[in-house]
Order: sequence, then C-alpha cells, then structure tokens
Amino acid sequence: MRIIKISLVIVLFLLGVVSVQAHHVLGRPSYSLGADSNTPPSLQVETQIGDFYVTYMAFPAFPKPNEQGRVNLYASRIDNGLPFDGKVTFKVNDDSWFAGEEEILGVQNIDDSVFRQGFIFQKEGDYIITAEFESGGEPYIIDFPLRIGEPASVGPIGITVALLIIVLVSVNVLQRKKRFSLKAKRAREEDQL
Amino acid sequence: MTMTHPGLPDLWLWFVVALMLLAVIWVLVRIPAKSSEQGFILIERIPVLGQLARLFSASPWPLVIFKFISVALFLIVIAAGLWGTPIPERNLATTLTWTVWWAGLIITVFFLGSAWCAVCPWDTIASWLVKHRLWRRADEASGLGLKVPKAWRNVWPALVMFIGLTWLELGVGVTTNPYATAVLSLVMIVMATAYMAVFEGKAFCKHVCPVGRTVGFYGQLSMVELRPRHQQTCTDCKTLECYHGTDEVEPCPTHLVMGSLTQSTYCTSCSACTMSCPHDNVGWRLRSPAAEAIQHARPHWDEAWFMLGLLGLTTFHGITMLEFWEQGLSSFGRFIGDSGQLIWSFSAGMLVVFFVPILVYSLFIKLTQILIPVEIGFKQLFAKLAFIALPLAFVYHIAHNLNHLIRESRGFTEVLLNPLGRGSLPLSSHELHMRHMNPLISEQLLYGLQAGLMIFGFWLALQILQRRTMEALANEASWRAHYILPGITFITGITAYNLWLLVQPMIMRM
Repeated sequence: MRIIKISLVIVLFLLGVVSVQAHHVLGRPSYSLGADSNTPPSLQVETQIGDFYVTYMAFPAFPKPNEQGRVNLYASRIDNGLPFDGKVTFKVNDDSWFAGEEEILGVQNIDDSVFRQGFIFQKEGDYIITAEFESGGEPYIIDFPLRIGEPASVGPIGITVALLIIVLVSVNVLQRKKRFSLKAKRAREEDQL
Repeated sequence: MTMTHPGLPDLWLWFVVALMLLAVIWVLVRIPAKSSEQGFILIERIPVLGQLARLFSASPWPLVIFKFISVALFLIVIAAGLWGTPIPERNLATTLTWTVWWAGLIITVFFLGSAWCAVCPWDTIASWLVKHRLWRRADEASGLGLKVPKAWRNVWPALVMFIGLTWLELGVGVTTNPYATAVLSLVMIVMATAYMAVFEGKAFCKHVCPVGRTVGFYGQLSMVELRPRHQQTCTDCKTLECYHGTDEVEPCPTHLVMGSLTQSTYCTSCSACTMSCPHDNVGWRLRSPAAEAIQHARPHWDEAWFMLGLLGLTTFHGITMLEFWEQGLSSFGRFIGDSGQLIWSFSAGMLVVFFVPILVYSLFIKLTQILIPVEIGFKQLFAKLAFIALPLAFVYHIAHNLNHLIRESRGFTEVLLNPLGRGSLPLSSHELHMRHMNPLISEQLLYGLQAGLMIFGFWLALQILQRRTMEALANEASWRAHYILPGITFITGITAYNLWLLVQPMIMRM
C-alpha cells in the first residue's frame, strides 16, 4: 500500500507541471550579501524538517575566534506559513570524530518571528550548532555546520597521499613477488634440464 | 537572492518547431541508402590547422606541455577547494570546474573530439605516479598489468559513476561547494592511479571514468577523427605498432587497431598511434559530424544503456531547474518523512526521471520491432537504435551549458587572479544583476545558437533512425516510411520536451 502511495505521489508530482520558475535545493549553505547593505556576509541554510521549513542564518559568514557572532533561526509551518512560537534550545558540539560533551548555548523565545542566539568561540575549528524544539508532541532536532577561523584541510590530502602510497607500495611488492617466483620457476626448469 | 536566466523566446521556439516539421516530412518522403561512403578531409592539408596537427603528431612534447598546464591547474583547483573561500562564485575550484570546464568540455567535443582525454589531469598524474615516465614507454613491471575481468569489460561502471556524479552535482550540491569539489578531484586521482597500477592500459578511462565515457560517446558526433591516411597501408601492415607499441612508444592504451577502427568512442587522443606508426600513416581528419553514430559505430547493449543514460540524465538536469521539482520534492519528503537536504526524496525522484525516457524508448523499440518485416531481437534493436539518444542528449546538454557558460563565467578573470578567493565577499545583488544583464555574447545570438542546436540534434537523430532502421531491413526495396513512425514520435517527444525546458527561466548556479 505504501509503495502504491509513493508511486502515486511520484506520478502526480511528475504530472503536476503547471507553474514554471527556477529552483534551489533545500539544505545547501549559501553566502549572501545585500547590494546596499553594510552588514557582513551571512551564511544561510534552508531546510525542511517534518511540518516546518527552517531557515538558519549565521552572522558573520566567516566568524573568527573571540569574535561576537549570531545565529538567526526562522521556523514556519509548511502548510500555512505560520511561525513556530515555542522555545528553541541551541547547543554546540565539535564536528570531529572524537567530539567532547555537547554544550548548551542558550534557550531562546521568539522575537519578531526570529530566534536569535549569540555566540563567541575561543578556538578555531568546525562546530555543529544544534537547534532543538518540540511541536505537536514531536521533537525537532536540526544540525547546522559552523566554521570558526581559517580551514585547515590537510585531512583529504593526507588520506589521498596515504591511499596512493598503499596502492603503489602494494603493487610494487606484488610485482616483486611475481618476478621472484618467475625467476625461481625458471631456475627450477633449468635445473631439471 | 535567486536570479534566473530568461528562457528561449517563443519566436525562436516556433522557428524550431517549423523546421522540425519540415525535417519530419523530408525523412518520411526520402528513401535512405543502406550504406554510403563518408567523405573526409585530412586536416594536415588545411593551412595553420594542418601545421598544428603535425606538431602534435610528430613530437610528444607539445602534449606533455599541455599535460603540465592541465595538472598545474588541477592542483590549484584542489588547493583552492581545500584552503580557499567557501563562496562558490569566488573560488577557482567551483568556477573553473563547473562553470568553465564542465560546461565548456561538452562544446569542445564537437570540434576536438576526445582531446580532453589526452591532457586529462587525473590520468596524467596516475601515469606519472605508476609509470614514472613523462611519455616514453614504461617498464612492464611498473604496474601489475592484469587483464580487466571479463565481467568488468563494459561501460556499466562508467554509467554508475555518471549517475553518481549527477547525484553529487544536483542532489548534494558539489557544484556550489569548493571543498567537496576538491575532495572529488582527489577521489578521481586515487581511482585512476589504483586502476592504472592494477590493470593494463587505461582501463579506468575505458570502463570507469564518467567524463571519459561521456566525451567518448559524444565524440561519435564530433567533426574530427583520428584515422589512417591511407587505408591500404594499414591493411598491408603486419607489425601493428599502433596496437603493440614500439620500444619508445606505448601501445594503444585502449587496445584499438588503427586499420580496423570504425568508431572513436574509446580513443583517448593520446597520440601513441601517430608516434608509433612506422609509415606515418595516422592523422587527424575532418568528417561529417555524426558519421559514426549514423553508420559506423557498432551497437552494444551496455553502450546503448550509457547513451540512453546520457539522455535520461540531461533531461533530469533540466527538470531540477523547475519550481515544480522543488515543490514536489518537498511534498514527497514530508510524505516519506525525509528531512534536511531531502537526499532520499531527491534520489527517488532522480531514479524515476532517469528511467522514464528509457521506458518510453523501450516502448518505441517494441513498436518498431512489431512494424518492421524482419526477425530481430528486442535487445539487438534496442542497442542498434540507441544511437538516436546521442544527438538528442548532446544538443540539449550544450544548449543548457551555453546558458551557464556565457552568463556565469563573467568575473572568471578575477577568480583566476585570486584563485583562493582570499578576502572576497559573496556576489552582491548588484553584481548578480550586472552578470545577468551582461552575458559574454548577445542574448539573441545565444537564442539563435540554442535553436540551431536543437534543430541540428533533431535532424541528426532522424538521420540515425532512418539509416539504422534501413540497416535492419533486408534491402532498400522493403523500406516503408511507417517503420520509423514510433522512432519519429520518440525523437519529437524528447526534442519538444527539451525545447520546453529551454523556454523556461533557469536558475543562475553562481
């Protein structure tokens, strides 16, 4: 039954071509700057979760350690566009494999349709900001990435070099083994002759 | 702020529709020949171009220099992606890779065939790492040199990679993420190197690389080809240096024999054959575009799927540019409980859109099979007529890419001067507006090119349909125009749909 429902939605969705305009895919970070604005560039992520569209904005887009920054969160219902008016808890965690304890940044009430949360980070790094709220008895947890300071991406280069070395060394070892066994085989054949 | 490119105006649309109608009438009235000799011109006989072609054929060094340039740019792209600004329009990784290279590459295929593969940076880096040679023939012990397992000797891996690339491009948004673009580049280096270290020749290029295979298949529509200057010289040749190589020069990395070459799909333009031929009998020549797709290329089941995959994915590309896609994705995401970037919903939608043209194509094949008066298997006919997908996908691909290229590559010089985008700010709405209003060429010229491309692709697809259907018949006398009616309906339907996509406003990617 569920498969039929899914297929039906797909078919209706493909047939429902009426209005035509351009798109953006939800959930991708983008950076913006107003033409007449003197505000710093902002990072914006739009996403959809359950019954809500959530927009997250970080000011400035590229915060530095010990610099005051702010996160703005807008959550509106998909069906009627009304803003969520409960409380939102903002938490932060290191975006690393061995992350420490999650810390609460603050709990915010709605203010002019926006939930605002200030922050100051002392250390450079990649962080995950988590916004949590509850609506209709269901918990909503949304994670957003935030980079503090300059990126230090030796990781992918290190992994690539390591993989290349493993491949080339393995092939070299196998090739030597192959040549060695070939030599040994020839030597045996010569002995037999 | 989201800016959109205006779509093709109605006047151009109706102009194309009128020409399409004339083309349909012409193919219905005309009885095609079962086979015909294709003319060609040796490029060496053309002033300037000929000298250039000779330069590349006679010595390996011009190509080596281009390889160095390509590798240098590729390494800068990786550095910019990893350490540069995350603002996509200010970072060389995203602007060079997706706006200039990926958009422009498809256009170059028409004029230069698979020239890209000759300077491809990930293949070059892999060659240097594994073979330790700039161009000379490597020691046989440089890699394991295993034969590719029989089950992998096809283009299924390349098709899967191409689907994956499109998924990353449109679903995950790699095109607007410099870091992910750099990581993708590193993945290509590792894969190409691993394949070259383990397997003989250029197995990665031939079976796995989505870029190489896209270039290879579109190359069937190119106006240039690498072929023998005199066929008889090749026929008399017993040593086959082009295939085996010489002490100095590598053998053909994709195992092609110049004397029996009928399609350029797997040619990587590496120049090994031009340098190894003791009779100096291999050269570039100009030909009628699509000669291969119309007549010479041999049909294969896996290749047919790749060609139809190209059609399905270019169509999919267009669909994701429309508002209903986003609305539908959002509704479907809610329905299945998907959230965030809606990756599951996107993937489901992509699979459906990918398979729809292939299902419609299968239906057309079934109808054609019923109509034609010869016994021919479904798979055989499926593979035989799949060549019609190539021009349809190719022209829409270029028409779509032209929009990105001429409107979004504005400001590329600034990015070249500051590849990491240090200290740069995102595009302001004023800059976005200026880019939008000042394309590299006039809008009317762009519309003219797009309209011309659409009619060109339609015309080529009709010719391929007519010739390949005739090939399936016993003789020219048994030809009836109604045999190609299902095919004409398919070609018209796809072209009409692609035209409709071009008429819609399209989002500016950066």
